[in-house]
Amino acid sequence: MDSALRSLLPLALALAVVGCGDDSASGEPTGAAPVELAPEPAATPGPAHLRRLTTAQYEASARFVLGDGLSMPSTLEPDGEALGFASAAAAIDALSALGVERYEDASYFLADQRIAAGLDGWLPCVPASASDTSCASESLEVLGQRAWRRPLTSDELAVLVGLWGDVATATDPDTGWRYTLAALLQSPHFLYRVELGEGGVLTATEWATRVSFLLFAAPPDDALLAAAVAGELDTAEGRATKVDEMLADGRLDAGIRAFVTEWFHLEKLDALDKDPLLFPHAHPELGPAAREETLQLAAWLGTSDRDWRELLTSSVSFVDPRLAALYELQAPVLDGFGQVQLPDERRGILGHASVLSVHSHSTRTSATGRGLFVRTALLCQAVPEPPADVDTSLPEPDTTSPTLRDRLTTHLEDPTCSVCHLITDPIGLGLENYDAVGRWREIEKGANIDPSGELDGSAFDDAIGLGEAIAEHPSLPPCWSERWWVYATGAPPAAYVTTDWLAERFTGSEHRLRELLRTMATSEAFRAVEAP
Amino acid sequence: MTRRPLVTRRGVLRGLLGGTAVGLTLPWLEAHASTCGSGFPRRFALFFWGNGNLPDRWTPATEGPDYELSEQLQPLARHRAKLTVCTGLEAKVPNVSPHWSGAVALLTGQDLDGADEGWSVRAPTIDHVIAAEIGTTTLYPSLQIGVADDQTFSYTGPNQPSYGETDPYALYERLFGSTFRDPDEGGAVDPSLGFRRSVLDAVLGDLGRLESRLGAEDRARLEAHTDGVRDLEQRLARLQEDPPDLAACSRPDAPPREIPDIDGRIQLSARCRAMSDLVAMALACDQTRVINLSHHKALSNVLFPNATDGHHNLTHNEGGEQPEVHDATLAVMDELAYLLDVLDAVDEGDGTLLDHSLVMACSEISEGRTHRLDEMPLLLAGGACGKLVVGSHVRSQGNENVNHAVLSILRAFDLSLATWGADDTVVDTGFSPLEAG
Repeated sequence: MDSALRSLLPLALALAVVGCGDDSASGEPTGAAPVELAPEPAATPGPAHLRRLTTAQYEASARFVLGDGLSMPSTLEPDGEALGFASAAAAIDALSALGVERYEDASYFLADQRIAAGLDGWLPCVPASASDTSCASESLEVLGQRAWRRPLTSDELAVLVGLWGDVATATDPDTGWRYTLAALLQSPHFLYRVELGEGGVLTATEWATRVSFLLFAAPPDDALLAAAVAGELDTAEGRATKVDEMLADGRLDAGIRAFVTEWFHLEKLDALDKDPLLFPHAHPELGPAAREETLQLAAWLGTSDRDWRELLTSSVSFVDPRLAALYELQAPVLDGFGQVQLPDERRGILGHASVLSVHSHSTRTSATGRGLFVRTALLCQAVPEPPADVDTSLPEPDTTSPTLRDRLTTHLEDPTCSVCHLITDPIGLGLENYDAVGRWREIEKGANIDPSGELDGSAFDDAIGLGEAIAEHPSLPPCWSERWWVYATGAPPAAYVTTDWLAERFTGSEHRLRELLRTMATSEAFRAVEAP
Repeated sequence: MTRRPLVTRRGVLRGLLGGTAVGLTLPWLEAHASTCGSGFPRRFALFFWGNGNLPDRWTPATEGPDYELSEQLQPLARHRAKLTVCTGLEAKVPNVSPHWSGAVALLTGQDLDGADEGWSVRAPTIDHVIAAEIGTTTLYPSLQIGVADDQTFSYTGPNQPSYGETDPYALYERLFGSTFRDPDEGGAVDPSLGFRRSVLDAVLGDLGRLESRLGAEDRARLEAHTDGVRDLEQRLARLQEDPPDLAACSRPDAPPREIPDIDGRIQLSARCRAMSDLVAMALACDQTRVINLSHHKALSNVLFPNATDGHHNLTHNEGGEQPEVHDATLAVMDELAYLLDVLDAVDEGDGTLLDHSLVMACSEISEGRTHRLDEMPLLLAGGACGKLVVGSHVRSQGNENVNHAVLSILRAFDLSLATWGADDTVVDTGFSPLEAG
């Protein structure tokens, strides 16, 4: 399903906290001594699925099979969106006919580069002639396991060796590899993460694949697959040891970055359509730089075991000269990104150009869009779709209503509109001090901007206070746990006791991301699957 | 909610091929129900644009063959004699999801399915329904093309979107690249085609073995994937044979490799025209008989040249008579007129390619500001060699269901459908003013 059709999903956590005057949700532990941790509730198995590789996963997988340094295909089947994630749509959508054709093109594009780069030193065994099928088989066994994330069966190997031999006989051994590599890369075993399980749990290689894409945003490496094949992942202890190793590995950065990219839809920053006449800072390189800032902050908070809610409150950030200029800071380094202390008016992702631009229009900000982002992505609260038959136009700015807050008054006074807009707009209006590319401003059309407001009973003065209110919101720990779960498994938790349990552990660890990931990856629910 | 059985080309193709790829000779010009009297095939081209129109400035003031073109239809003046304007029709579905309800009603005949994981279509879109009938002998059953974005409104079934090609040069390479043989030039068969088919055989083996292990939903997904691979293998097999000997077919000039954005704005007109040129030759060469060309998607916020805001925002926020929204509609009609130009410029025996085609131009709503589903914009050009009335303004006096008109269109391609739509939206008669006597 394309993203637009799924644009507003009934997220699992309903909007129960909104407007109920429920101010009793005070279970906010800050720095308390570790509470006694509940054991995992009985695991309800999730659905068995095929999950097509997202574009990012396809690229990571192609690099793993064929080596770094290859150019990636320019166009593949577009990533969809379900439950807020491309990774979840990948478990629902079918591949289009055009997608099949593009995967075919991509396989030859990649295979040709690999052959041009030379097979000597890359293939475990380089056959000298078309008759040397045992050497080809030796190579295909290794390549096949990397590409399909499990050992090949002898039948599967025989088909590939046969294909190589047929083409090599008709042409030459290198050409044989062209078509054999293409067959590996066009196979459903490469294009889909097969998570069908055996006996109600993922197989060792399926589990290894799920964990590796979660933590490293990449297919399982040779060592992890070897551990799976050797039976080392068949026990809870074995799996826990492996997860601990992976959480200490530098590749965890990539895993966090991939999640945050999907969570905040940062892929949209590749093509920001901001009007350059209105926003002189708009530049094709601004979007990618803004994304990098957010990803660096998220990875730094996660891997340095800081409270991951500092995503919303951190005074630390990472900027390049372009972002430094936008934020009116001295650039920390002349080239690339460096760590900085943000100015007082900017804290966390709600002060990042990335989030602020993605949730703005091309010519102006969008209080509704920014509020919707906070409600759905950060707090997992559903917001109804606008009714179809109302006039949604805003009045033009004039001297009596110069600011967006003035013009949105209609939305908030008309009951047809206010039922939804009261949910979103007061949040977005708290961010009005940042324009549609994230530049600070205090005045709009000659009038002072008033960024004060209220979030579910917590009053805030400005964007800084808004960020703090979200960080302390009781919906945050279960929401962020659920977001990671959906991303990791491609489906909502089969039982919400799992989310609650994860949230409790996350909260109990003082919101350490690694603890959340460890709990999730080592849980029984993470490996339980229904029989297809 | 039970889902209705899907009309997909899967069954049609499987029946034709018996599950294996066979080297069919091209049966072009063979007696087929959906050919014109002169033997040329009927073609279908959907031209879609997002966010509707301004109905008061769209609907012609007079009806019948001598109708006066309205303000918004002026760019089509030179095609008036081959153009029929249908007005007064309504998408009769609950407007539960602005933009999507109308698109789904118009192009699948039914309402949206509100499944747990979000909205979904229940049935394939008409491009695929028609392709199942007339697209079984060509290289491509149908071609989806997007100008501003890849989201052509096209589905083979629930959760089965057909994305559009958005890069004119990539489309050129697919249609007229190294595998294309100009009927006048001859040229050798690409020797790699056989090896590529061997690879696809291995892939089909993997797909078949995997499919047997899956639950129902994943099996449906993998079947769609398998259909795509079979289409591709069939296409490669046909490319190994001689191309149809068609006088009007030749390799067109390649479009530019890049059509870069200007000041952050996509060059809509240049891209759309490059695509239209390729569409005309793809149809003339009988590479496909069904096109879904989407100028910009439903709900698109594309920035038109000179516009002060994105299209969707303008429809809601522009005041007064909405001059910028009006200009956007005129710009889209200019591009439709260009598509009709290039189709009408291809001579085919007793007429032109346009005469042998039905071009259906439509949007998902009428007035964008309020997402109206009455007065659905619907233009038909070419008439599919006399099957449908051309050169007239036909108007429903009683807000009839737009499905009547769609059923007339489907029947023009000899689809033996008793009804179109389902449950509350079902109709069993066409829109009679449209059907030629």
